[in-house]
Amino acid sequence: MLRRALVSPPVLISLIVVLLAATLPLYVSGYVLGLLTIAYYFGVFSMAWDLLFGFANEVNFGPSFLIGLGAYTAGILDNLYQPPIALCIAAGVLASMIGGLVLALPALRVRGPYFGLTTLVAVLMLQNFVVVAASLTGGEIGLTIPDVISIDDKVNYWIALGFMAVSGAILYGLTRSPVGLILQASGQDPVQAGALGFNVTKHKLAAFLVSAFFSGLAGALMAFYLGTASVGTFIDVTVGVQVIIGAVLGGRRTILGAVLGAVFLVALGETLRPLGDLATFIVSAVALIVVLFFPAGLLGMVKGAREAT
Amino acid sequence: MAPYENAAARSAALRGSLGAASVALMFAIAPSAWADDPAPIKIGVIAEAQAVAGSSIPQAAQIAADEINAKGGVDGRKIEIVSYDNHSSSAESVRAFQRAVNEDHVNAVIGSYISEVVLALEPWASRLKTVFITPGAASDVITQNIAKDYEHNKYTFHGYLTSGALAGLVCDAAKDMLVDGLKMKTAVIMSEDAAWTGPLDAGYEACLPKIGLKVLDHIRFSPDTTDFTPIFNKIEASKPDVIITGVSHVGTQPTVQWKSQQVPIPMFGIASQATNSTFWKDTNGATDSVIYQGVSGPGVAVTPKTLPFVDAFSKKYGNMPSYAGYTAYDDVYIIADAIKRAGSADSGKLVDAMEKTDYVGTIGRVQFLPKGDPHVHGLKTGEGLITGLMLQWQNGKQVNMWPATLANGKLEFPSFVKIASGK
Amino acid sequence: MLFWQILIDGFAISSLYALGATGFTLIFGVTGVLNLSHGAIMVAAAVAAWAASGNFGAGAYVGAVFGVVVALLLALATYYLIVRRLQLSRAVREEEKEIFILTATLLWGIMIQEAIAYLFTNNAKTVLPIVDGVVTILGVRTPANEIFTAFVCWATIGALWLFVNRTLAGKAVLAASMNPRGVTLLGIELSTVYVGVWAIYGALAGVAGVLLGMFLGVSSYSAGPLTASAFSIVVLGGLGSVSGSLIAAYVVGYLETLTAYLISPAYRAIPALLLLVAVMYVRPRGLLGRR
Repeated sequence: MLRRALVSPPVLISLIVVLLAATLPLYVSGYVLGLLTIAYYFGVFSMAWDLLFGFANEVNFGPSFLIGLGAYTAGILDNLYQPPIALCIAAGVLASMIGGLVLALPALRVRGPYFGLTTLVAVLMLQNFVVVAASLTGGEIGLTIPDVISIDDKVNYWIALGFMAVSGAILYGLTRSPVGLILQASGQDPVQAGALGFNVTKHKLAAFLVSAFFSGLAGALMAFYLGTASVGTFIDVTVGVQVIIGAVLGGRRTILGAVLGAVFLVALGETLRPLGDLATFIVSAVALIVVLFFPAGLLGMVKGAREAT
Repeated sequence: MAPYENAAARSAALRGSLGAASVALMFAIAPSAWADDPAPIKIGVIAEAQAVAGSSIPQAAQIAADEINAKGGVDGRKIEIVSYDNHSSSAESVRAFQRAVNEDHVNAVIGSYISEVVLALEPWASRLKTVFITPGAASDVITQNIAKDYEHNKYTFHGYLTSGALAGLVCDAAKDMLVDGLKMKTAVIMSEDAAWTGPLDAGYEACLPKIGLKVLDHIRFSPDTTDFTPIFNKIEASKPDVIITGVSHVGTQPTVQWKSQQVPIPMFGIASQATNSTFWKDTNGATDSVIYQGVSGPGVAVTPKTLPFVDAFSKKYGNMPSYAGYTAYDDVYIIADAIKRAGSADSGKLVDAMEKTDYVGTIGRVQFLPKGDPHVHGLKTGEGLITGLMLQWQNGKQVNMWPATLANGKLEFPSFVKIASGK
Repeated sequence: MLFWQILIDGFAISSLYALGATGFTLIFGVTGVLNLSHGAIMVAAAVAAWAASGNFGAGAYVGAVFGVVVALLLALATYYLIVRRLQLSRAVREEEKEIFILTATLLWGIMIQEAIAYLFTNNAKTVLPIVDGVVTILGVRTPANEIFTAFVCWATIGALWLFVNRTLAGKAVLAASMNPRGVTLLGIELSTVYVGVWAIYGALAGVAGVLLGMFLGVSSYSAGPLTASAFSIVVLGGLGSVSGSLIAAYVVGYLETLTAYLISPAYRAIPALLLLVAVMYVRPRGLLGRR
């Protein structure tokens, strides 16, 4: 099944799109490259979220908790001791995975809205902590990260693109594998899945850890791209909302759709830039319309159209 | 260029290159005579165009550029303002900065009044070796970073007052107004628990006793506090003569609750929101008698350049500039002046020239602290340089109280405030 | 003296929390919807009241009423445009509807918040208070407004109680929260009940918002924290239980006040958050929760 999935139309199309995207730096301005770099990192955030939501059926209202943990741990480490960047990133990923574990524990005991609340509270607590422990984290002013991976926008773009492509491949492959199917079953009907002999708890926990891994990694990488970490960029509820909207817009339970949604959001935000504050309003309105009238999302609509013919 | 394939092309090329050589020679002999359209000086302005304080930055910068260009520019070169709206986001500011330098090839950047944004841009100014000056942020970390690594970070200049400097200026004013004028003896410091108030409060704790005000208590509250009742009750219990403030993230709420609780102690110090001309309306008049620090005030001619700038600004845009507008206006002049003295817009030479700045702007006389100072590239403060003002809200108007030479009113307090003039 | 200060101050804040949480839990209890635009509706009410009374000079009473009306309209809009649409949608599976409604109300809340910021800037505003001046209770100088706030909160909650327990319409609402199908069997149009409940919710949120605006002041940034706060209180008290929410509101209100007075105003929000985390781990269904 995995082999068949690998040569299926979505994968082939994605491959072509990635190859095309890799050629962009040759003829597109550095500004657009920078925009897309951020969009690709958000694509990974949204994909990681979709794994949890679309498959394990857990709504994480605070993806920025995991992202923030990854970004800030990596950043603080670099700020204090300047170890090699790879070490900082690894520390960030570890922190994020521990965070994922912490979130997973109540999730596995409660259902639906309660879990959503826990995730929201986690974000608030992290935000509170960052502001209170200002001497360590830079507080509301933000953290300066002395090292960046590169100052060349082309290099940064390719790193982001490559990372997103690989993450997407892994996440997509995971969902199409037997593990992924069990996860889906556990998410949609845990009682039946349990009756069939699958360890629902173990699989959901694994989903959390995987989601945390990618969120934290992407967060740390993005922090080393920007050279700065702040509440507004990584932890604020609006960041989480952007991640969620990206995934929902693109199409839940498709993984690949999440990237579509993330890029679409960034593009929309850019085109609406001249409108200033109204831009957020319009983006939210568009997202709301999609949720209300096209709940399957962009990719979902395409899939539905294909299946209908 | 494709290699020439025929004789005609070659002779054309020869003629062309001869022509070019002669023009170049003429340029070398008489540069100014032939430079009728020299490259403009581009100054990037990255600001929060939607925020009340930020919107004035690009607007004021444009006025300065227009004025300089009307007088012929800098050595014949016109100043071009390239503006970027960063939506109060550090990530967008970093992107804007990269774009400004790499694509739009600006010679210098004026950026933001938010410390978070400025701190995010500071390392990029170093990496991209571009002069960068902030017209509004207050964090001490900006200049501390320059002191820590001068060679890398020397491109950044802090065109506003640091928290530490602000504390010093508030103390100077408190000495004249509160200790000498109202014979006050005790104070309580009330500030929001945020990164920018760290150095501010440290400054207060150090300077207030020196001017004769004993610090009875020091209260730091969470920046998202909405209920200030416990705080004011605590302050009242210590019975100080004055509350020395350090608030920016909040303003309306503590002020309104101060009035509705009828706290009998006046408020004096830093209250960023009180500088907004809409503050009276926002608080439904509760801000009456609040005394706050500012660098400008309606009708106050801090220098001969202040009021003409305000006139030009309000004529062009229909409203008064925010505090960051004054400094942004000055910053354009400072950059232009430095380019003129350096004879070039090359970043290295520009840094040296800017360090030697001695310019009378709209908020005072601007000089930067030299290398070796813990706040290198910050503004020098003190009499004859920059002192700031202390203003009081009275009857819907912001009236200046200090320095005495620029005062246009007298202190007034509502009946519930008890001034302990210990005579 | 300190004791009375804490008692009185905590009471006013808790009453305000209680009113906000009551509306939130009412909607969940009867319709099963967790309305994440709750905070935004409250802020909208406060800003509308500010605009009418202060900005356009209509006076405090008119402003307050206007604010409540705005919240009412927004609540009904939330129901018709979003909740009803999703509840009747066939494109979304039953078990996913909850999550979609959550996401949709979150987005709706952001839209309201941004619209407020765009029209009125994100500066904090306070509503012109209906009651002015101070009174001295047990040696504690208290703004009369604070007492007015607590009084109106309890009057509103009392009116709600009377409505639910003493009127036929109210009993229909109560029945609908327990057994929607049963209610339809009695010949009562369920959608009418829902519209009624959302209208009541709008009024509750509106009064809470206007009072908050008068007592403490709001800004467009307050929307998120207000929703989170209502959410936390309701979960603490038990989703769907109005009495649970009331008790939890006082627990949280006093916890915050005590922390602010006795420990430090900088850590005000933390004990309540910790309590919430503890409840999540130990007793997820809250104090008096049913579902």
